[in-house]
Amino acid sequence: MAEVKYLSEHYDKKEYRSLEGYKKHGGYEQLPKALKMEAAKIIDEVKAAGLRGRGGAGFPCGMKWGFLPNNGEPRYLLCNADESEPGTFKDRVMMERAPHQLIEGMLIAAFAVKSHKAYIYIRGEYTGPAMILKQALAEAKAAGYIGKNILGSGFDCDIDLFIGAGAYICGEETGLISSLEGYKGQPKLKPPFPAVQGYLRKPTIVNNVETLASVVNIIRDGAQAYRKYGTEKSPGTKLFSISGNVNKPGTYEVPLGYKLMDLINNECGGMKPGRSLKAVIPGGSSAPVLTAKECENASMDYECIASLGSMLGSGAVIVIDDSNCMVDVLSTISHFYHHESCGQCTPCREGTGWVEKIIHSIVHGHGKAGDVDLLIKVADNMKGRTICALADAAALPVTSFVTKFRGEFEYFVANRKSMVKPNGANLGDAHVH
Amino acid sequence: MSTNTIPCTINGKDVEVKEGSTIIEAMKANGVEIAHYCWHPGLSVAGVCRMCMVEIEGNPRLQIACNTQVVKGMKINNTSDKVKDAVKWTLDFHLINHPLDCPICDQAGECGLQDQYMHYGKYEPEMAEAKVKKHKVVDLGPRVVLDSERCILCSRCVRFTDEVSKTNELGIFNRGDRADISTFPGKPLDNNYSMNTVDICPVGALTSKDFRFRQRAWLLKEHQTVCTGCSTGCSTKVFFNKEGLFRVKPVYNEQVNGHWMCDIGRDVYKFVNKEARLFDAKVSGKGTGAGNGLGAEWILPKRAALKVGETLRANKGKGVALVLTGQHTVEEYDALLGFFKNDLGSDRVFHWVNTVGGGPESLEAFDGLLLRGDRNPNTAGLKESLQKFGIKTQWKELLEGLASGAITTVVVAGPENQTFFPDFKAKVVELSKAPRLIWLTAGKNLDLDNLTGDVTLIPLKSYLEKSGTFVNHAGLRQKIAKGLTIVPNALSLTEVAELFAGREIEAAESCSSIGVGRVQNEATTVRGSL
Amino acid sequence: MSLVQRPKPIANWFLPGILSGMGLTFSKLFWNLVTYVGGNRRIPTLNYPEEKYEYSPRFKGNHVLTVKKDGSLRCTACMLCATNCPADCITIVAAEHNDPTVEKYPISYQIDVLRCVFCGFCEEACPVDAIRMGPEWQTPGLNGASFNYDIMQLAYRPQLKGGIASVVDEKERHEAGI
Repeated sequence: MAEVKYLSEHYDKKEYRSLEGYKKHGGYEQLPKALKMEAAKIIDEVKAAGLRGRGGAGFPCGMKWGFLPNNGEPRYLLCNADESEPGTFKDRVMMERAPHQLIEGMLIAAFAVKSHKAYIYIRGEYTGPAMILKQALAEAKAAGYIGKNILGSGFDCDIDLFIGAGAYICGEETGLISSLEGYKGQPKLKPPFPAVQGYLRKPTIVNNVETLASVVNIIRDGAQAYRKYGTEKSPGTKLFSISGNVNKPGTYEVPLGYKLMDLINNECGGMKPGRSLKAVIPGGSSAPVLTAKECENASMDYECIASLGSMLGSGAVIVIDDSNCMVDVLSTISHFYHHESCGQCTPCREGTGWVEKIIHSIVHGHGKAGDVDLLIKVADNMKGRTICALADAAALPVTSFVTKFRGEFEYFVANRKSMVKPNGANLGDAHVH
Repeated sequence: MSTNTIPCTINGKDVEVKEGSTIIEAMKANGVEIAHYCWHPGLSVAGVCRMCMVEIEGNPRLQIACNTQVVKGMKINNTSDKVKDAVKWTLDFHLINHPLDCPICDQAGECGLQDQYMHYGKYEPEMAEAKVKKHKVVDLGPRVVLDSERCILCSRCVRFTDEVSKTNELGIFNRGDRADISTFPGKPLDNNYSMNTVDICPVGALTSKDFRFRQRAWLLKEHQTVCTGCSTGCSTKVFFNKEGLFRVKPVYNEQVNGHWMCDIGRDVYKFVNKEARLFDAKVSGKGTGAGNGLGAEWILPKRAALKVGETLRANKGKGVALVLTGQHTVEEYDALLGFFKNDLGSDRVFHWVNTVGGGPESLEAFDGLLLRGDRNPNTAGLKESLQKFGIKTQWKELLEGLASGAITTVVVAGPENQTFFPDFKAKVVELSKAPRLIWLTAGKNLDLDNLTGDVTLIPLKSYLEKSGTFVNHAGLRQKIAKGLTIVPNALSLTEVAELFAGREIEAAESCSSIGVGRVQNEATTVRGSL
Repeated sequence: MSLVQRPKPIANWFLPGILSGMGLTFSKLFWNLVTYVGGNRRIPTLNYPEEKYEYSPRFKGNHVLTVKKDGSLRCTACMLCATNCPADCITIVAAEHNDPTVEKYPISYQIDVLRCVFCGFCEEACPVDAIRMGPEWQTPGLNGASFNYDIMQLAYRPQLKGGIASVVDEKERHEAGI
């Protein structure tokens, strides 16, 4: 197996960005087909395809659609384009290269869940993709794909673009809903779940960009053809954003279940010359780190990565080679979570700050004996005690970094300098406020 | 609202709880102790402090009790080691950036963090990093001061302004551990319910400007009473010690005020303090020109009342009129009216109606939450008593009587709280036209002091110094009890009626007194329970 | 448990007691006379007020309110001393300071020394080392009012030569984030 171009078949063509170019390569052919189908049939098809949410949690998409209550209330479909997980940039590529693919997917999904109003929530920093999406939405509206009575089917659906202000927490679905409602982007208490009471307290479905785009292919080829790729439990292909110390970092589409080492060595051109693999973060900064040894047999599907104690997340593979100090890396990660904690729940608000301060003092040579144990203790007590998963996202890397690379941390505390970069400038300096 | 109950198990004990209640409500109803900060029975659920963790059988993760509904047969536990450890650490997270301000914090002694640290504290601090610095002494509005460092961001105050006062002045700005409670530019926290935010603040972040630094919480004693600020009659408690009264706080009363009270009601303690009170009876002789008390005779109130009674009875009530306000208790009205009606046979009893906000229609005003336009605690009670004695008079009859000389003596049971009587000065001028004026009053007043002619001032007890009944606007009868003594010789209207009738009164029963001699340091005698 | 010692019957005979007591008194008198003449000063009495006895540093004498480096009072008016005082002799009136870093300070701090039992509980209770029991015990006064010590007397009396600075360092305290 190698890289497959299933979703990203035409991503290399510049014209694919425009409505004509998209239509030239078979775009908007699935929408009329879907509009003629029964809504329940589409949901069944997506269920049969086993499409799992590509945003991070990997929740089966069809099942999520099935949770909507039948109470006659208006429903909303939200596209989560607030791609803020450090290391992830696949949604940006999709929106830049194929905005109409997303719009078509959204229209099919909106039809399936009987929603007449859909929003794309895009993060504030994505000004480029936002411009492209805006133009694409205008084109699609002009061509009658969005609006009243789409293609004469009697189905109305409006799609609007909402540009966020750039907060990690707005990628969490209830945080996204709060932000969209005009409130401070803070996650809401669950229950009630968004499928029951979401945007404006109405049933709401929130899906990732890649999930919605995949729907087009599922309708085109059918569930069985979709299942041709990937594994039994993780079917389909996925776009992975690979960054870090590899020769060719970038976004690559491979079927789920692809070997991690193949991804690094074949697609990404291997490690930098003279360097060897030290660790890999397989699913964005919130995923526990995998050591080089654990990576050897890892395959990129939800189950295998979970069995290694990590998570596939949004498919952001961060490759770390032996020139990096793990204390530095964790310092950067914990700074991010401290900065992005919304401040609602106490364990996360105070814990992320505490963790950053401890690592900061270690990096600056003020580490104390017992700090390494304290890091684990603090992280353990943040986990699972908050409304959303940000506390877990902040705590998991801490636990995994410290347990898997304890030697480096203890060396840093004892000798007040890095084991790997004894003379090098500490990355942590960049984040001192 | 369903009143069905469902069975569940709390800490191994089978209990029946109301259907649809959350775990924390079920625990409170059954007297189970549970730690919490952000949950407040009068506000919506925020679920942010994460203190009310409970273990539910069959659920691997700890759940918060405030947002989890009890279902049939649920097995809830909050005494397991897992829960205790979680609460301990969550409390520690609350404290790592909390300043050690306790010695200068007004909340010390009644602070949620202090109390819960005693029960659930970690007792081995591990936080060795610098604390987050935030703004201190932030002026939020005319009555409330904020200390951001002490704030634990439970969002109770924000939810209060959002849900109860519906004024939305407060918000949480910024995020993470830099988050801050604040007001919007140019919009201070200035609503009539702003001080409730101080009450519900579990820490000393919001403090009242009125009470700030005046006393420590443990040096104060409480006395539950009814607010006399308006005809709603909220249940309140006053806090006092030997130096005087210091503040008023609401007491939960489902029938009247719920959890809240208004800021106007919090000021009603001020006229009770001894600085504002009349201590002895003042009798100015006829034509002595007794301005500023010169030439006047200061005597014991009891003697003054007996003397007045003698002359009243000697005249057989001829030309005597009585003026009443809605500020006294039902028992007092009955006693005084009984004396006038039965002993003197006088029907000349007049109701002094005070309007704070304009015309008579303002008496019916209501702000939608608690405050009413009628600023007397017992107008309904007064009307009831007048009806009982068959008295129907108009204020203008009094003026006519004074003008024609038919009324020669006026006895006024003056208002306790003169601030709610904007026409006080005008009425003093009006009534001083009577050849003989007997004014019963709790508070000092310069206008009364400056009166010349045959004037007798007799000090009255305030509402905290006597027992009785108030009838609120809805006809609810609320008992108040005697809680303390401020002016030892002052009389209640009941006592005045007895003395007028020439009967001796019993000596007052003893209770906490303010400013009377030195007593043993009360704080040290209860040190064991601090 | 208390031991009750019943007097022996011989104690009813007063003369032996009187004689032994007088014997002790006279032996001391004799000894003092001899040593005084010999220049050996072992007499425990002092020629007060020319001579004064040096008490131990732990002696609990008159109260001192300590000051900060800038000479202002260290006291934060937390009233813990007043709370702890078994004689109820401390009266504090707190007020808001103009400087927000100080916040609370006493505008009046009074100790009624005639009521004070010099137990030192105020010293123990103080969280900021603001009150100490000093070495002075000779405190004459003309009337009752001169025994009601105010801030000027407690912190700035001439004997203190500008006030006693507390060792707690404000800067260190702030750096430690307390």
